[in-house]
Amino acid sequence: MVRVVELSSELSGKKIFERISLEIPRGKITAVMGPSGTGKTTLLRHMTGQLHGVSGKVWVDGLDVAALERKQLYALRERIGFLFQNSALLTDYSVFENVAFPLRQHTRLPEILIRNLVLLKLQAVGLRGAAQLLPSELSGGMARRVALARAIVFDPMLILYDEPFVGLDPIALNQVLKLIRTLNRELGITSILVAHEFAAVRQVADWVHLIAEGRCVASGTPQQLAHADSPWAAQFFGGKIDGPVPFQYPASALDEALGFVGPSS
Amino acid sequence: MKRLNKHSAIVDACYEIGATGWFLVVLLVAIPRSLRYLRETIRQIWFVGAKSLIIIMISGLFVGMVLSLQLYYTLSIFGGTSALGTVVALSLYRELGPVVTALLFAGRAGTSITAEIGLMRATDQLSAMELMAVDPIAFVATPRFLAGLISMPLLVAVFNMMGLFGGHLVGVNWLGIDNGTFWSNMTSNVNVWTDVINGEWKAFVFGAAISLIAVFQGYNAPPTSEGVANATTRTVVWASIVILALDFVMTAFLM
Amino acid sequence: MNPRRSYVAGTGLFILLGFVALAYLATQTTSLVNYQGGPNYQVTAEFLNVGGLKDRAPVKLAGVRVGTVSSIVLDQRSMEAKVSMTISKRYNEIPEDSFAKIMTSGLLGDQFVSISPGGSREVLKNNSQIINTQSALQLEDLIGKFLTSSGSSKSGG
Ligand SMILES: Nc1ncnc2c1ncn2[C@@H]1O[C@H](COP(=O)(O)OP(=O)(O)OP(=O)(O)O)[C@@H](O)[C@H]1O
Ligand SMILES: [Mg+2]
Repeated sequence: MVRVVELSSELSGKKIFERISLEIPRGKITAVMGPSGTGKTTLLRHMTGQLHGVSGKVWVDGLDVAALERKQLYALRERIGFLFQNSALLTDYSVFENVAFPLRQHTRLPEILIRNLVLLKLQAVGLRGAAQLLPSELSGGMARRVALARAIVFDPMLILYDEPFVGLDPIALNQVLKLIRTLNRELGITSILVAHEFAAVRQVADWVHLIAEGRCVASGTPQQLAHADSPWAAQFFGGKIDGPVPFQYPASALDEALGFVGPSS
Repeated sequence: MKRLNKHSAIVDACYEIGATGWFLVVLLVAIPRSLRYLRETIRQIWFVGAKSLIIIMISGLFVGMVLSLQLYYTLSIFGGTSALGTVVALSLYRELGPVVTALLFAGRAGTSITAEIGLMRATDQLSAMELMAVDPIAFVATPRFLAGLISMPLLVAVFNMMGLFGGHLVGVNWLGIDNGTFWSNMTSNVNVWTDVINGEWKAFVFGAAISLIAVFQGYNAPPTSEGVANATTRTVVWASIVILALDFVMTAFLM
Repeated sequence: MNPRRSYVAGTGLFILLGFVALAYLATQTTSLVNYQGGPNYQVTAEFLNVGGLKDRAPVKLAGVRVGTVSSIVLDQRSMEAKVSMTISKRYNEIPEDSFAKIMTSGLLGDQFVSISPGGSREVLKNNSQIINTQSALQLEDLIGKFLTSSGSSKSGG
């Protein structure tokens, strides 16, 4: 479904990816994991054509995303659901209108059908009662779930979830997990899941890519990765502080920055 | 593109003017696409135009009243107070109506357009629209631009009417000019085309300029609180300068 | 009512108000007020000098507006200014030998055509010409006359 080939990319001069390649199989749930700031969100933005790499290609459903014309790109995006890491709800519209937004823009469905579809999706995330609230009246976790409902309202062919589990209580978490699984198993929707919670990910994901330092450092089923002897996987899933994965954003040595040692003579 | 602080203010201004001009082309090209979102344009006319009515009406009333008062004293020096209706109407239609309304509009509607779009960018709402395959230029920028364009001439007409009413109130009811003289002098000297319609042309052009600047500043505001705040200030500054400059040019060539 | 519809109605009201205001300004506060609708007829008159008379200037009889000046052209043959006037059909009994005069409202006001009725039984019809005319009084001439007349005792009319 999605094929990233030798993609290199930079953001304001900073290298994010260095010839990264990975594949997302059709009809499966694939998790993309990796330390904070490695570029998981950036990778998703490449898939939706919001960013273009310096070299390499991204194929989505057989289309070279970077080469698409505006019209074709928008046609492709209509078939992709995207859950923003920060929800990005439209603050002027009620919860109901937020979820209805893609339907209203791209279909001419009668009002009653839109109403039913939206209420069903809101029911699925447990927020049917909040339909008339404004986004500013929601908690962080509720906003996540509204954004999720909006991402899936169109029953797209591909859904990109950027951290769907953040801010959810255990009950809502299970509910969302179930939802992601149902959408995939019953409607065959290909799903890409960016998340940090390995415990949650291993319940739903068919496949996991671990990216770090601009490359895909390990891939496999959750079970394989959990017991892999790759130092990256071992450190990341074990949550160890020491290892090849840096915790610090690249910077000069700490003692130097704090002024304990003069700049290297 | 990175803008360097070391450059002089003039280079900055040229950059801004060029970028705004280019943005106008983008907006105009997007007009056919934004026709799908007619409802959004209507909604923006409501926010930008209808909600400015009160301030426009009150200001128009007072401007007309003070105009009548000032001109009465000036005219009485020459014994020409019978021309009060004419000079009040001409000052309003040709100059004060379009300019004062435009300045108020920039402060009332222009700033809110800038702040709103800037905030939408900062909270990723514009990206969210793009990802839902809704073009933010056609859905957010162009409707606001069109709303400004449509609202300004209407607001100016209302402003002028209120101004005339205020002028009449002071001139006839307070200073005691004969009602018939006030009107007949006006109606024999005010021309529909050179005065009323040319004033409306000014309003149209000012409306386009203000909403272009407001939308451009909002759309290109850095996604930070300070960025949005600065963009709002720039909208008022730029819009005011452009209105007054355009007013001079249009008066010189049109009237 | 659907809340999505309420602002549509409000916007409609706003646009309506704007157009009403514009229509009011355009038709009730400008020279369009004096536009002579309905049936009318054309009359011409030739003047030696029209002074500052302009198109659309009023034509008055006994101070009442009866029509407007519709065109002012130079007649190359007689070297006089030919002024065409549109008179409302309501005033269809103006004597043929009436007197047309260009006058100024006030000392510095606009100029208009004033008609003083004659005594003839015949009345002005479409395309008739007013023979008796008097040109505009030029302020400069007046002053000139005043200056010369102060020398001699004869006063100029
Ligand atoms: N607009 C930008 N300009 C420059 N650098 C950026 C920009 N946006 C992101 N970055 C950098 O790109 C890197 C990757 O960012 P990204 O948001 O993709 O990380 P992420 O993997 O999604 O992290 P997280 O797990 O915390 O969400 C970060 O190091 C960030 O500093
Ligand atoms: Mg991220």
